[in-house]
Amino acid sequence: MHIMEGFLPGPWWQIWFAVSLPVILYGIHKLNRMMEVKRDLLPLLAVAGAYIFVLSSLKLPSVTGSCSHPTGTGMAAILFGPAISAVLSMIVLLYQSLFLAHGGLTTLGANVFSMGIAGPVIAFVIYRTGMKAGLNFYFTVFLATAMADMATYLITSLELALAFPAQAGGILASFQAFAAVFAITQLPLAVIEGAITALIFKYVIQIRGDVLVKLNVIGEAGLRRIKEAAA
Amino acid sequence: MDNMLDDQALLSPLRHTNNYLKLIIVAAGLLGGISASSPVTPLFIALCMSFASVVFGAVPLKFYLKLMLVPLGFAAVGSAVILFFFGSGHEIAAVTIAGHHLAITSQGLNMASLVLARTLSGMCCLFFLALSTPMVELFSVLKASRVPDVLIELSMLIYHYIFVLLEVAVSIKFAQTVRLGYKDLLSSLRSTAMLAGTLFIRSWDQADKLYLAMNSRCYDGKLVMFSPNNPIKAPELLISSLFVLSIIALSFITGNPPLV
Repeated sequence: MHIMEGFLPGPWWQIWFAVSLPVILYGIHKLNRMMEVKRDLLPLLAVAGAYIFVLSSLKLPSVTGSCSHPTGTGMAAILFGPAISAVLSMIVLLYQSLFLAHGGLTTLGANVFSMGIAGPVIAFVIYRTGMKAGLNFYFTVFLATAMADMATYLITSLELALAFPAQAGGILASFQAFAAVFAITQLPLAVIEGAITALIFKYVIQIRGDVLVKLNVIGEAGLRRIKEAAA
Repeated sequence: MDNMLDDQALLSPLRHTNNYLKLIIVAAGLLGGISASSPVTPLFIALCMSFASVVFGAVPLKFYLKLMLVPLGFAAVGSAVILFFFGSGHEIAAVTIAGHHLAITSQGLNMASLVLARTLSGMCCLFFLALSTPMVELFSVLKASRVPDVLIELSMLIYHYIFVLLEVAVSIKFAQTVRLGYKDLLSSLRSTAMLAGTLFIRSWDQADKLYLAMNSRCYDGKLVMFSPNNPIKAPELLISSLFVLSIIALSFITGNPPLV
């Protein structure tokens, strides 16, 4: 869910830029360090970024009939980790605002925080814990991406609530109001994106499971176990 | 997904106008709109920007209006929440839905219209930039400013591959559609996942090829670009300064210091 250009007043849009900036800088720093070791990372990340953009411009089948788009950031976090996802998301969000009129320039900081930082961190944490706990791989992927969408949606509502607190009940009341209004589109979206991402991983494992091993998403043994279970 | 604003920008008559001039106009519009405390300034900016896009930028009016619908939908929903929950003052109207008393106060109404106007002006500025400046032109601006190289390289490659992958995605989608892949919810879920999965595998292969191609051409972390020099013309300068001055003047008249 993108906050549109001009919707956040000062000082909130500046604050969210300030919050997101250190994470982005850390991501760039990490990117630079990784590229010294693995030079083929740049083309891979470039294509991954383009993939996220194309994924997010696909219209999802939606239950409520409104048009909803996947964020793709949960999947990026599972593949590349949260720090790099943040950098990729920022570029993708910039392109979305300039090519598709989703989001905006002054609200870029807030959008990066909700979609590029909060969502991926949640996805990554859930994915890693789920795999450690020995949960089913596809279920973990579903949970991680669905929760990433939920986190994005809740953080966006919080960003709006902080900027526009209600007279009676303050931030909490307006947070509930924003969350309730956007829940109509965002809850089905989270479930659908989770299901689709799990299915995507199913296809990828069937055809090019070695890619996931190379990216350190699953181990050699894990891949074999999943393939055996499917057979 | 096949109507990208960038395509329009490549055809725009404003494409070869000086990039910095366009960026300054947009920045002035964005900041002027967002720091305004009455809806007058944002509405003025929205009007000017729309006029510039449609008349100077030769964007078809129907296309432009259709473009405004999506952001306005979001802004309308958001403003509705503000309308009912924000601010105090005397009640103008009230409804009771399922035991909840919802009242519109004067302050809430002011805030909601202000936010709506600000979003409108912001989106018009964004559209002006998006519809007149292709991304290729912005890369040279980014290079000239002190943005980290790795970020620019990544952005440029992502930009290139968006179009490559989009073409693949569109043709897969057409093929699926004629085979009734989107006839109901369940099959469209399956088709979407299949499309995205195939796209991911294609992307991986593309990345391998790209690495090979770049390496064999001695890629060392910097793509060199040609940045054309488009001098600012006098009429452009005149009309832009008029625009910026009017924003500042309007901000003062409607009672708030500009750009702070």
